[in-house]
Amino acid sequence: MSTATEAPATAASQAMARGAAGLVLGLLALVPLLVSSNVADMLTRVLAFALLAIGLDLLAGVGGLPSLGQAAPFGVGAYTAALLAKHVTTVGPVQLLAAAVAGAGLAAAVGWLLVRSRGTYFLMLTLAVGEIVHELADRWEGVTGGSNGLAGVPAINLYPGAPPVRLAGLLYWYVLAAVLVCAGALWVVSRSAFGRTLRGVRDNEERMRSLGYWTFLPKYAVFCIAGAAAGAAGSLWVAQARFVSPADLGFEVSALALLAVVIGGRGSLWGAALGAAVVVLVREELSPQLGGRGPLVLGLVFVAAVYLLPRGFAGTRLSRRGSGPRRTAAP
Amino acid sequence: MPAWLGDNLITIIDGVAFGVLLFTIAVGLSLVFGIMDVLNLAHGALYLVGAYLAVRFAGDGQATAWAFLAAGLAAVVVGAAAGAGLAVLARPLGRRGHLDQALLTLGVALVVGDLLSARFGNDVQSVPPPAFLAGGVSIAGREYPSYRLAVIVAGLALAVLVYALVERSRAGALVRATVADAPMVRALGVDTGRLVVAVFAFGVVLACLGGVLGAPVLGAYPGLDERVLILGLVVVVLGGLGSVPGAFLGAMVIGQVEVLGVSLLPQYASFLVFGTMAVVLLLRPTGMLGRARKPG
Amino acid sequence: MRGLARRLVTIVAAGLTVALVAGCGSSLEEDQQGAASGPVKVGLLVPKSGVYAPLGRDMENGFRMYLEAKGGKLGGRTVEVVVADEGGGPDTGVPAAQKLLQQDKVTILVGIVNSAVALGVRDLVADSKVPLIVANAGANAITGEQRSDYVWRTSFANGEVAAALGEYVAGQVKGGKVFLAAPDYAAGKEATAGFQETFEAAGGQVAGTELTPFGTTTNFQPYLARIQRSGAKAAYCFYAGAEAVAFVKQYQQFGLSSKIPLYCSGFATEGGVLKAQGDAALGIRTSLHYSDQIDNPTNKEFVVDYRAGYGDAPTVYAVQAYDAAAVLDQALAKGATGDAIVEGLKGVGEIDSPRGPWRFNDGHGPDQIYYLRETKKQGGTTVNAVVQPLTGS
Repeated sequence: MSTATEAPATAASQAMARGAAGLVLGLLALVPLLVSSNVADMLTRVLAFALLAIGLDLLAGVGGLPSLGQAAPFGVGAYTAALLAKHVTTVGPVQLLAAAVAGAGLAAAVGWLLVRSRGTYFLMLTLAVGEIVHELADRWEGVTGGSNGLAGVPAINLYPGAPPVRLAGLLYWYVLAAVLVCAGALWVVSRSAFGRTLRGVRDNEERMRSLGYWTFLPKYAVFCIAGAAAGAAGSLWVAQARFVSPADLGFEVSALALLAVVIGGRGSLWGAALGAAVVVLVREELSPQLGGRGPLVLGLVFVAAVYLLPRGFAGTRLSRRGSGPRRTAAP
Repeated sequence: MPAWLGDNLITIIDGVAFGVLLFTIAVGLSLVFGIMDVLNLAHGALYLVGAYLAVRFAGDGQATAWAFLAAGLAAVVVGAAAGAGLAVLARPLGRRGHLDQALLTLGVALVVGDLLSARFGNDVQSVPPPAFLAGGVSIAGREYPSYRLAVIVAGLALAVLVYALVERSRAGALVRATVADAPMVRALGVDTGRLVVAVFAFGVVLACLGGVLGAPVLGAYPGLDERVLILGLVVVVLGGLGSVPGAFLGAMVIGQVEVLGVSLLPQYASFLVFGTMAVVLLLRPTGMLGRARKPG
Repeated sequence: MRGLARRLVTIVAAGLTVALVAGCGSSLEEDQQGAASGPVKVGLLVPKSGVYAPLGRDMENGFRMYLEAKGGKLGGRTVEVVVADEGGGPDTGVPAAQKLLQQDKVTILVGIVNSAVALGVRDLVADSKVPLIVANAGANAITGEQRSDYVWRTSFANGEVAAALGEYVAGQVKGGKVFLAAPDYAAGKEATAGFQETFEAAGGQVAGTELTPFGTTTNFQPYLARIQRSGAKAAYCFYAGAEAVAFVKQYQQFGLSSKIPLYCSGFATEGGVLKAQGDAALGIRTSLHYSDQIDNPTNKEFVVDYRAGYGDAPTVYAVQAYDAAAVLDQALAKGATGDAIVEGLKGVGEIDSPRGPWRFNDGHGPDQIYYLRETKKQGGTTVNAVVQPLTGS
């Protein structure tokens, strides 16, 4: 059983990878000084969506549980943050924490039933959860504002008593910091012994069980972790948009997150962030300028991505084995 | 009791009509998944293609039986071509797992949906039923559209045909064998590649025919493809992926849930379909008549 | 690994180039809005894709028609129209609005079909000091609890359109009960509530209310059966788009149209929807603030011009956007910056519109006449014939 997810790294290539990572982080940090507010806003949205995609990558790429229902904890996190902002506190990090807890809570509540299923059945159950939560948001007018959504969400501030963050650049830095912290946590999980267990379960659940591992708990745990990440992403999304509606819980969000993961290359986490950038850029920059032909372009991007990026941007192989009998975990 | 039955008889019959329509959509989806492990998310868009074919031939006051026949033939031709095309597109991705294939078909669905919208516009199109089926009949004191009765008849006939093909013919035996153990069938010298393409084409033809059949009931408009796809997926998963009798059973159940269920539990109407699916899957994780898929 | 790093650098470089080229500047400063001289930029936010695209098309037609008639000028100033796709809902509409405000730096925002989008951009336009003229979205709150100096509406409020029918229907059923049906979302609820209020105030009794799942209901048979069982003498419904087509057709197919007269908010028989309904729509009486059959000189001319320019009869959506341009024509005469335009809007008098004369009320929405229309066949096509103006709103 292979536990490695990449070719063994030489010292030189490791150094190069670290250098590249440093360069990217540096550039990301400089963004607010170089671009206009509109671009900074869009990049903030990209970052929030990237966190959603990274969480899904942990679930689908590392855990082998592709889900079409990540919009549910994302939306729950977004609504939690919005309601907190309107009624309780506008402190950003508090909202972030509460949203992560809310997302994890939803995942915990349904996950223990869902992770008993496999493959397409699991996928459909996550879709069902997504749609049911979407319906609830649409109908529970007293809390969620119904189909009109919750508008007028106050801007966040960074700690109690601080002035509200209004400049797009400053908000971008907050979101960047939050995403780096959360994604960092997810990365640590992925690289830990737990992460290796997950990959083992993903690649061959029967064999793991015969080796004495409980496969239910790791799957349940990663489902909850992904839920927390999605909830956190939701609160960051609201911090920028200052508006949340049932559309943010829709099937489209889940599908686009999954697309981001596939484009980026499953299992690599940072690939999912790149995939998220591509998806958001196509949807927000390209589509509106095509006079209504947006879905066509998005569809073509799907098709092209699947063909031209067989292993995503990250190019990670799931294992060094050649093609053999279809793996259980092939989602 | 008789009053309740009388009141709900029409609703139950309508549930059968709706269920039969869902079956034509679901059976193709189930067959394709069974033989190729591909979740064809373009299925709804192909249903919509059939519906727009009906608009093209039978819309605008030309709703004769011949127009519908022509639309049906066009659906067969277009469906076969589209199905074969999709099979060819999806085959190279076979080793990479269902997710890539599913996303490919989702991309195709978006493209097809937008092309239809560009060609036919975004307005809701409606198709009247053929003239001889335009009126209604009286059932239990209430009026019921004759066309929907015709849908029941046509749909059941289709179901019998598909059952005969899959369960009783030699070709069907090959298909079922390939679903169960493809390498073995290949070892026997059968070209499973071509078989897969044929099954895909057949499944998509059924979806397009469903579109033609359903056009006077559901119309044609952007967004209908998504609705049909979701219902189709629910039916297929509920009944068990890869099982034709499962697709029929699932379709009948969802047909009743969408109609009788809504009638009895209107406050929960939006949750009934997914709720039913979730409940069934939790009790029987592979659907009502599905078999646990062999690993690998 | 080398290939990986190379790919990474290329991607990042490409992304940065795009960002720098597209949006040079600093996001650490407050944005400036609008130019003091030069053409006035008007952002037209309408759906160009998805289920609401037909409405968006009509709205764009109506706005441009007025503009062209005035030689491309409103209030004497040259206008540049920037169109953005609202899409199907706030997840596409709000970012599109943000782009219009921040990247294209429009001075005025016009359009919006979806109420969630309108409510979602309310704070944005107030912060950017950009007046918004809503040319369709009907949520009561837009000119109610969520009203703002910067938000103006030339279309309607869901509750008001429905309320216009209440008294009339009460008079028609004379003691009989009425069944209410609408989709289960904000607009449907506002409509049934609005109808119920004036209906019951006029002595009417509601037999029951059915809120059908929004956007997913294709089969109304169970609800129609309930209407039949309730013994109602008439039914009121609020539906639009595909649901309106399905509801009206099935209303006839299941035999209700001949026994239980149907009253609706006019969207159920407006535009492309009426064509799709065919004969099933005949005899339905609706309330709406516009019909292409309205008999006043402004409308007669408007209909002829619209047909000549766009091939079809105009719809209420076209008139709403046409009036938005008319309103701006008056407001822009007073000034070309956000606040000056707002002052101009406050001073707008009576608009002589194809729908009849109207003016803004305190909530910045239109104080207008609602017409009772009845679908009739006229020269081979079905039209919304005007029966009488409805009292009260």
